[in-house]
Amino acid sequence: MKRKKIKLANLYLMAVFFILYAPILYLVVYSFNSGGTMSGFEGFTLEWYASLFTDTRLLVIVLNTIVIALLSATISTILGVIGALAIYTAKQKYTKTSLLSLNNVLIVSPDVIIGASFLILFTMLGIQLGFYSVLLAHIAFSVPIVVILVLPKLQEMSPTLIDASRDLGASTWDVLTKVILPYITPGIFAGFFTALTYSLDDFAVTFFVTGNGFATLAVEVYSRARQGISLEINALSTLLFLFTLLLVIGYYVLARRGAKEVRR
Amino acid sequence: MKKLVIMLTTPVVVSFGILFWIYQINMAQGFGGDNTLVVYNWGDYIDEELIDEFEEETGLKVIYQTFDSNEAMLTKIQQGGTAYDIAVPSDYAISKMIEDDLLIPIDYSKLENFDNIDPRFLDKSFDPGNKYSVPYFWGTVGIVYNPELVDGEITSWNDLWDMPLENDILLADGTREVMGFGLNSLGYSLNTTDRDELLEAEKKLETLWPNIKAIVGDEIKMLMANREAAAAVVWSGDASEIMYENEELTYVIPEEGTNLWFDNLVIPSTAQNVEGAHQFIDFMLDAEVAARNTDYVGYSTPNDAALEFLDEEVVSDERFYPSSDVTDELEVYENLGKRMNAYYNELYLRFKMQSK
Repeated sequence: MKRKKIKLANLYLMAVFFILYAPILYLVVYSFNSGGTMSGFEGFTLEWYASLFTDTRLLVIVLNTIVIALLSATISTILGVIGALAIYTAKQKYTKTSLLSLNNVLIVSPDVIIGASFLILFTMLGIQLGFYSVLLAHIAFSVPIVVILVLPKLQEMSPTLIDASRDLGASTWDVLTKVILPYITPGIFAGFFTALTYSLDDFAVTFFVTGNGFATLAVEVYSRARQGISLEINALSTLLFLFTLLLVIGYYVLARRGAKEVRR
Repeated sequence: MKKLVIMLTTPVVVSFGILFWIYQINMAQGFGGDNTLVVYNWGDYIDEELIDEFEEETGLKVIYQTFDSNEAMLTKIQQGGTAYDIAVPSDYAISKMIEDDLLIPIDYSKLENFDNIDPRFLDKSFDPGNKYSVPYFWGTVGIVYNPELVDGEITSWNDLWDMPLENDILLADGTREVMGFGLNSLGYSLNTTDRDELLEAEKKLETLWPNIKAIVGDEIKMLMANREAAAAVVWSGDASEIMYENEELTYVIPEEGTNLWFDNLVIPSTAQNVEGAHQFIDFMLDAEVAARNTDYVGYSTPNDAALEFLDEEVVSDERFYPSSDVTDELEVYENLGKRMNAYYNELYLRFKMQSK
């Protein structure tokens, strides 16, 4: 009886995974289609990958996207950790809850609102739209995510740990770098990678703040939609999918190593 | 702690590596000086080889950016954060931009190739005398249908009501387009401001619901090519793409008349390189260049001289290059003003709410 139950569960899981991955698989398969559209598979070709690599405009856009993702994720991770520490160490309960609420408001705000507000802000301040405006906007919407992912780690940490290290003569800096940060490292990693993916695929906010020849992939793909998206985009999506897959594997390996170290 | 430091420094190092790479790519292409030209166009709406040629010819470097709707482009230009030298709005957006003082008049002494444009596409109501705009592509709104799925031939808007097309029609989601064919089917102007006529058109459109399968966006091309519906109301540019995907289909300009639309080249008032913008427009007006661009994009070109460089079969296709007898009867959208636009939208919304 028990065995059968597990089988059913597995079957269900397989179905769910199939539904989740079928569209991506479909997209990947058609990136090798010589037919030129998604409506029928005519034959195998690497043409789209070739044209992808000769398209320097698209290459620059992809590189822009990656740079923005890496930098905004890094900076927002640092800011987010500082923010989480601030909320965690806030003495008054009132301060703590207000800070946390402010953070949460940003998470539930629609992207369109954030994007439009940034556009108005940058215009008022006279900031040129381009690399820096996109970077700033991405940092802004990533910080609250990092905070919300790091904070639980801080809260599950036993306060006696800090007291003990203090008793043993650790300075504030020691407590931070030798006790707190190592303890919340998994949370920081999760925050970093989430921020990275948020930045990679954000369209709504980026759309408003791009300009002066600077574009990210999401904006570019969207603006191509009027003419029907060419299979070059399929090829690119396939590569990006593999890239993110590698990132996930990397994260997994790091997290496992981290877990082992803690056990030791 | 060490791991954290590595984790945070690696992305920064990698980023600077990539930034340097981008810098090198840009340098290799000669960007960086003042000799740039920013072109803001619809996605995939130009043969990019032509941009390379233009760069070679003039020594200018083109920064090519894309948008997906007139509204998006308008917002970007109005906001003024970016200096676009060339933009490609559609007719009604042009009149809006003229009203808002967003365009620079075109200096025709700098355009040698302007005579290539067929005069019947000039001096339209959205820009009298073509003071601010030069036609880029044009087309109509009509019906694309699959003769194998339709009993007989569709020739008019009223056929959508009269033929046995139950649950078989797709509509492109546009207020002016849908209200327009409602008005046209009754013999009214699609620029009417008569509220009774508009109400009547909306009532008539409601009776079409049993035949309407869905009101959709860009996916209409894929749906039609895949035989998901028998007929659809679309722009001629979309129709030619659909027919390229699936040759069974055909396109018709309804006999009651319809909309004639234009996408035109303009120079926004934020332009930094007005000289270069004129060079670019003149380059695109060149007969051979226009022909190649038309070949790539697949829409109808207003460039008369380009026609001889195009496939005879394409140019003689009355569905996409109708004679002046036909185009003279068609109407260009007029800017109806805020209040009238709101009324059109209200009626269109009411029509959409009547869906089954």
